[in-house]
Amino acid sequence: MAFEAKSEAGYTIVSLDETRLDASISEPFRLYLFDQIDSGANQVVIDLGSVRFMDSSGLGVLVAALKKMAGKGALKLAAPQPAVSDLFNLTSMNKLFTISSTVAEAIEG
Amino acid sequence: MTDDQGQTLRLEIDSDLANTTLIAMAVRGLCAMTALSPVEVNRVELCVVEIVNNAIEHAYGHEKGHKVEVAAHLDQSGLTLTVSDWGKPMVKGKLESASLPVELDDPALWLDSGRGLPIVQSLMDSVCYQRDGDKNSFVMLKHIKG
Repeated sequence: MAFEAKSEAGYTIVSLDETRLDASISEPFRLYLFDQIDSGANQVVIDLGSVRFMDSSGLGVLVAALKKMAGKGALKLAAPQPAVSDLFNLTSMNKLFTISSTVAEAIEG
Repeated sequence: MTDDQGQTLRLEIDSDLANTTLIAMAVRGLCAMTALSPVEVNRVELCVVEIVNNAIEHAYGHEKGHKVEVAAHLDQSGLTLTVSDWGKPMVKGKLESASLPVELDDPALWLDSGRGLPIVQSLMDSVCYQRDGDKNSFVMLKHIKG
């Protein structure tokens, strides 16, 4: 599994080199995200562009990261693929997250 | 297996979350033979993954070395997916009480787990949970409109 973080325009952009964000990688991804937040990242964009499939465990990690950030910064999601967008809509989590079509849009917004 | 009552495919994996993808890909392949739309195929994949995850995480407590079986049955009524384990049974009433709470205002109430069952309930046309001896089976039906 591969997660990567880079800085751009004051944001920490976290990307996954994975097509599936599921229960088999949700815990390492949670630890990676929490580590980024604990290290001072307070404006975070998660680039979901590579992720074709996400289950409730993957969604749970994003919610956990959002909770950890609550009141201390911003966490945005970018470039969700159709099945991922569908999961957000089905669970109404699209109302909880700021979701942009691209990373650039997330940074600008 | 093929007969007048439809076709059945049986799959078996070891109880390792990394193996769930094998089931997901096989079920996607099966769905490709049907009239399910791409969105419906994604949703069926999500449902089977959620229930296989539940078997591994809750019935077997994340312990590897146990069997998870998935039977996919295609007939005129649609696609029936049965996920079976031989571990700890689901708590009584858990399926009936599953819901998707949305508490937008209070971060303390944002759940980071527990969405699997309500997602499956909302996406499948019917679901039920059966126990036969030491075998637990979660059965999901998706109607296929021709």
